[in-house]
Amino acid sequence: MSAEVSAPQHAPILDAMDVGIAILDRRMRVVVWNDWMVRFTQTAKESIVGRTLLDVFPALAASRLPQTIEESFENGTSSILTHSLNKLLPLHDDSGKPLLYNVIVRPLDGPSQQCLVQINDVTVAVARERVLRERQNARYHAIVDTAPDAIITISLNTSIQWINATASDLLGYAPTELIGQTIDVILDNKNDLTAAYFEEVNTAGHAGGALQITARRKDGSLAPFEMSAARWQADDRVFMTMIWRDVTERIIVENALRQSEAKLRLYNEELEKRVSERTREREVALAQLYESQKMETIGQLTGGVAHDFNNLLSVILGSLALIKKRSVNEPRISRLLDGARQAAERGATLTKRLLAFARRQDLKLETIELQSLIPEMVDFLRQTVGSNIEIAIDVAEDVAPITIDANQLELAVMNLAVNARDAMPKGGLLTIAARNATKDRTKLPPHLPAGDYIRLTVADTGEGMDEATRIKATEPFFTTKGVGKGTGLGLSMVHGLTAQSGGAVAIASEVGKGTVITLWLPRAAGDAVPRPLSKQPDPELPSAGGRRRILLVDDDVLVSMNTANMLADLGHEVVEAHSAIHALQLLESEDAFDTLITDYSMPGMNGLELALRTQAGYPEVHIILATGYAELPANSSSEFPRLSKPYTQEELAEALERMTD
Amino acid sequence: MELDVAELTDIERDAFAEIANLGVSRAATSLRQMLGAQVTLSVPAVNIVTRDTAARLVERGNSAKLVAVQQAFEGPFSGRALLIFPEAQSLELVRSIVGAEQSLEDVIDLEHEALAETGNVILNACLATIANVLQKSMRMSLPTVIRGDGAMLFAAPPGGGDLVLFLYIDFTIKSRDMRGFIALLMDLPSIAALKAIVRDFIETVQK
Repeated sequence: MSAEVSAPQHAPILDAMDVGIAILDRRMRVVVWNDWMVRFTQTAKESIVGRTLLDVFPALAASRLPQTIEESFENGTSSILTHSLNKLLPLHDDSGKPLLYNVIVRPLDGPSQQCLVQINDVTVAVARERVLRERQNARYHAIVDTAPDAIITISLNTSIQWINATASDLLGYAPTELIGQTIDVILDNKNDLTAAYFEEVNTAGHAGGALQITARRKDGSLAPFEMSAARWQADDRVFMTMIWRDVTERIIVENALRQSEAKLRLYNEELEKRVSERTREREVALAQLYESQKMETIGQLTGGVAHDFNNLLSVILGSLALIKKRSVNEPRISRLLDGARQAAERGATLTKRLLAFARRQDLKLETIELQSLIPEMVDFLRQTVGSNIEIAIDVAEDVAPITIDANQLELAVMNLAVNARDAMPKGGLLTIAARNATKDRTKLPPHLPAGDYIRLTVADTGEGMDEATRIKATEPFFTTKGVGKGTGLGLSMVHGLTAQSGGAVAIASEVGKGTVITLWLPRAAGDAVPRPLSKQPDPELPSAGGRRRILLVDDDVLVSMNTANMLADLGHEVVEAHSAIHALQLLESEDAFDTLITDYSMPGMNGLELALRTQAGYPEVHIILATGYAELPANSSSEFPRLSKPYTQEELAEALERMTD
Repeated sequence: MELDVAELTDIERDAFAEIANLGVSRAATSLRQMLGAQVTLSVPAVNIVTRDTAARLVERGNSAKLVAVQQAFEGPFSGRALLIFPEAQSLELVRSIVGAEQSLEDVIDLEHEALAETGNVILNACLATIANVLQKSMRMSLPTVIRGDGAMLFAAPPGGGDLVLFLYIDFTIKSRDMRGFIALLMDLPSIAALKAIVRDFIETVQK
């Protein structure tokens, strides 16, 4: 622009321009006011040229314009006053809409000292931008303004540029409180992880997944959020918009799920443990079952053999007794007979033990107290075990009574004491103790039903047994003692006795330390009254008593003949029958009998049935049941006197004697 | 010669700082009037550095992304004046000028104009003050907004500008603190002329 501006010369050019042009002199008087200015200020040239700007537009005095113009003259500065920061002239278009415009003030060179004020209309550009942006943003705002998640935009230096309404609600801040602050204000755990996450978003544009973060609310409380983020650009400017999802509830659910999973796992483990326990228990039970079946089989076998053998011994003993009576004057024969009788009696003892193991011995059950029984045995035990073994008796005072065959129990304790002695050749301590045992199932041997028991233990400090020996210890004929030193029936007998009495035997042993044999014996029923222990008087010598007419029933001809001989020798009249049916016929056809002596075990009708029928049909007849073992059913009437096979003539006489009492 | 030109004596440094502070306080007055809010501006330090050093100084502690308002000036000494901010602070500056209630899009839209006008006010005030104090006549161009790293802002102008009168500037607008720089990029003769004028000024003052 030339230094000298005169209105008439340049007027057409200036009026043709599509920007507002005003030229002012040093005193701020208007020199030029182009048509554009006329049109948009609605101020005619004639009414303004020559006057100062402030005269025509007094409101400008409050604006930055006068000072800017002054500085332009004064210092040669050029200035821009934008619509965004200034309100200057009231400019309107033809329809009366206000214009948006920027004002530029710059000095004009030259001696005239003038200043150019130029007005650029930016209404259209601003409006277009705004429309474009609003069109663009409509969908965006429809989403973010109603999103259930917090949406936060930050700039590169992590200062917050914008937040949505949900962010404001969730975090408790008004938008203006957060904008301009750095993200650290609301991000609690800003650390390497979040830094790396932001870095990833900055370089890649977005991150691979969401990041768990902790937000800090205005009230200081913390809340778990899940953050996803993406980078975007506006012009040259880079922003990052983050979506923060409140995961408080999900975390609660996850924790609950985790807990229940842990619980489930625990239950599973517990279940597996139980299953394996049960499996183990079952294996143990099966092994025990197998063991007890084996013992049962051996028992039946042994019992059968012993039974037959017993009958033979009865015959031998009976015959020997009769022969001896007839050879009293021949001492040599009498001695031989004595030897034969002793051998037969030892055989009888052996069969008794076998029967005891087979649980087929005829138990004389009575209710006894161990507090009395065990101490009474001490003297005898001492003689048996010898002087280099100390005996300790430890029977608790409150030990309950038990119902058992006292003689058999004594024999059992004696057997155990002998075993203990043999285990302690160099001496030691033998302890016999008794305690009440709890009902607690777990402490009982597994095959015993729960209930009240007495635990009778016989413990030694001897050599002990290894596991293989311990397992086989109760088998009959199993012995660790040298040939000829033991029968192998001691522990078998104990086993049989306890089993038949409703109890059990447990053996604990450690090599080098000793052995503890525990007898579990059921305590007596509450109403049982213990029998005062007293030595039974030796049986009286048989006396002939009255002559009887006796019906003798036995399917074994040998036994029958032998017993008949003994009875005849005692002076009785004997009629023999070899079956129950035969006996009933005789009872009917013959003259009346005083006494019926019948074997129990017979083919067809057994002795007990015969006895019952006889009792019903002939109540005056006395009845004796001869049995080799406990083969009578448990519920059988015990009113019939019994005679335990094999019996001697004395025992036979005694039984007859008792009957008449 | 070059070393002499590139160095300021303590008294020269003080004189420049004094003049600069006069300038920015004048700018602050203008901004207060414009924004109707508390604005304080101060120049705590002044130095003369090479372009390379200036480029490093403006990037120090910030990201390399910068935004600057640039104006050319002509007179007994000539060159370019730059008001420089880290780009990350620029939105804060604009928001503090146009108001926090503006939407982000509005702030972005207004950023260019608002920066240009604000930078214009500050640079004009500084340059005008220098011209006034030194009683020299100057011409200053309209502002342009440029973005880039330090090297780009201080790229050698066609006429060759080698040294930078470098001023740190602290802003407080509506309780927001910001830091920026004012750089006057000049060639050697201009710097020498400016220093000569300042020395004359000092002598006048000291008389």
